[in-house]
Amino acid sequence: MTTDFITTTAQSGSNPWSYILPEISLGGLALLLLVFEIVFPKTLKRHIPTLSIIAQLGILVLTVCAAMRTRGNVSDYFYGMLANNTGAQFMRIFFVIVSILVHGLAMISLKKQRVPRTEFFHIVLVITAAMMLLAQAANFLMLFVALETVTVGFYILISYYRASPLSLEAGLKYLILGALSSGLLLFGIVLLYGVAGNPDIMSNIPLSEGGFRDPLGFERVFFGFTSGINPFLANTGLLLVLSGIAFKIGLVPFQIWIPDVYQGAPTPVTAFLSVGSKTAGFAVLLSLLRIIVFTPAAKVVVPFLVVMTFATIIFGNLAALTQHNVKRIMGLSGVSHAGFIMIGVLSMISVMSEEGYKSGLFTAIFVYLIAYALASFAVFGVMALVAGESDAEQELSDYHGLSKRSPFLAGVLAVGLGSLAGIPPLFGFMGKLLVFISAFQAGLYGMLAVAILGVVVSIYYYFGWLRAAFFQNWQTPTTPSDVPAHPADRIRVPVAMKALLAVLALASVFFGFYQKPVMDLLVLLRLA
Amino acid sequence: MIIGLYHYIALAVTLFAIGFLGVLLRKNTLIIYMCLELMLVAATLALVAFSHHNGTVEGNVFVFFILTVAAAEVAVGLAIVVTLFRKRGTVDVAKLNALKN
Repeated sequence: MTTDFITTTAQSGSNPWSYILPEISLGGLALLLLVFEIVFPKTLKRHIPTLSIIAQLGILVLTVCAAMRTRGNVSDYFYGMLANNTGAQFMRIFFVIVSILVHGLAMISLKKQRVPRTEFFHIVLVITAAMMLLAQAANFLMLFVALETVTVGFYILISYYRASPLSLEAGLKYLILGALSSGLLLFGIVLLYGVAGNPDIMSNIPLSEGGFRDPLGFERVFFGFTSGINPFLANTGLLLVLSGIAFKIGLVPFQIWIPDVYQGAPTPVTAFLSVGSKTAGFAVLLSLLRIIVFTPAAKVVVPFLVVMTFATIIFGNLAALTQHNVKRIMGLSGVSHAGFIMIGVLSMISVMSEEGYKSGLFTAIFVYLIAYALASFAVFGVMALVAGESDAEQELSDYHGLSKRSPFLAGVLAVGLGSLAGIPPLFGFMGKLLVFISAFQAGLYGMLAVAILGVVVSIYYYFGWLRAAFFQNWQTPTTPSDVPAHPADRIRVPVAMKALLAVLALASVFFGFYQKPVMDLLVLLRLA
Repeated sequence: MIIGLYHYIALAVTLFAIGFLGVLLRKNTLIIYMCLELMLVAATLALVAFSHHNGTVEGNVFVFFILTVAAAEVAVGLAIVVTLFRKRGTVDVAKLNALKN
């Protein structure tokens, strides 16, 4: 009986295990790292992160191959648990690259603390695999389990510097608010399940759409909405699910955790949260798009999203103005970036609801995500290098005179912050431009105005940071000389890190002038 | 009176609301934790009620996943709470405010 099951599974038409080979390899690699930690002699243990990066480069190739094979051919696999969602293949590649970059930052940052190291990389790999599955989820069960794997992994990573009360406090805050948002999401899923599972809607489901489907599957929930059974329960459920996603993305009013958690978390984890976790939230939003746009729920849900986007852009930029801690600045400016991406999503929703599904609508969002990731990692890389012993206390004043102490880091910082602020000709400008154009075409003029004001405000605080780095000199403390003179005096940039930062900065400049490679990638993935 | 679906849903919503308000209003981390668990249990109750009413089995399967996830969350969460208590000597969220600008 068991052999029968295995044979049929292995032979079943599309042989779906090969579609998630990258995720399986990441999970296997994560376990392998723990084995290495036990069996390797001490001299080899230092190289475990490097090994992990090399293995991930292999997995990246595997992911690209898997994405190429899956992109147009398969709609769903594993009996509707996973599907080839909009942008899913892009997200898979994106998350592997993010994981590699987080490894690079962690190799710098973990050296400054007395903490076990291999477990950190183990958890990063597990979270990455879960995010990749999350982007492909087509079933609320899959969505919930993958999302919780990501969230629980982040609880550990955020409180990873367990000798620091700040890191632990950030972990506790994320734990409470994260679990709260998971609770909201779960209750929303339950309400949707209740509506979609109603036997009365069976007559409305066309047989060509797969007929009997899991009542937790997105398809069936979609028909639950269109057949109009108990719209109150269904709309409440969808709003609760979106609240859970908004927590991940960091939309107002679910952004309250962001400044504290970003400040307390280790720098590589802050980078992972602000790029990886945020993008994972958008991936889920995109895979739920059909339910959001093409059902009667749109009348309730879209205004809700519009209000949140307005509030997010205004709040993120204004709150970042008064900060002195660079991690809090990155956190709050990340909130405003989430708002800008939401503008892209909303203009797409507005065009889609009138003209139906078109693949070219997504370009702006994905270009923005790439630009944001490149620039953020450049800035976080500099932060990881400049940070002192206390990872949570990185003030603007630490950057005074950076241009004289380390011109290279100051240059990378300038490119990264300039790209985040959207200064032409950097890549961040192209991202913003595309989002604004799509908002203009969709006729969202009010939102466009608020967004442009937001950009103006953001230039002020990003340049405050640059001013600290370029135009303010370091005042040596008058106290006796046991105080370290300047954080930058301690900086020794390893060659590999220097190369990585140079690549990130040059990519931000290069793609700003010449976007063809990015567009080619999107076309290849059928997204542009 | 026959106890039907909506009685169960009303009970689940009440429990969920108690849990939600508890998280927002209480100050002791452990009680907040209990309230978080209460929210998950309320969702589970609604899930089973829907599953029975609709005659679909997926809800019952989902319950096991929720229990597993909740267990993982508690394991990690209590570890963080214990370590934090050792460092700071308190688990009162009102006193845990070192992260401020």
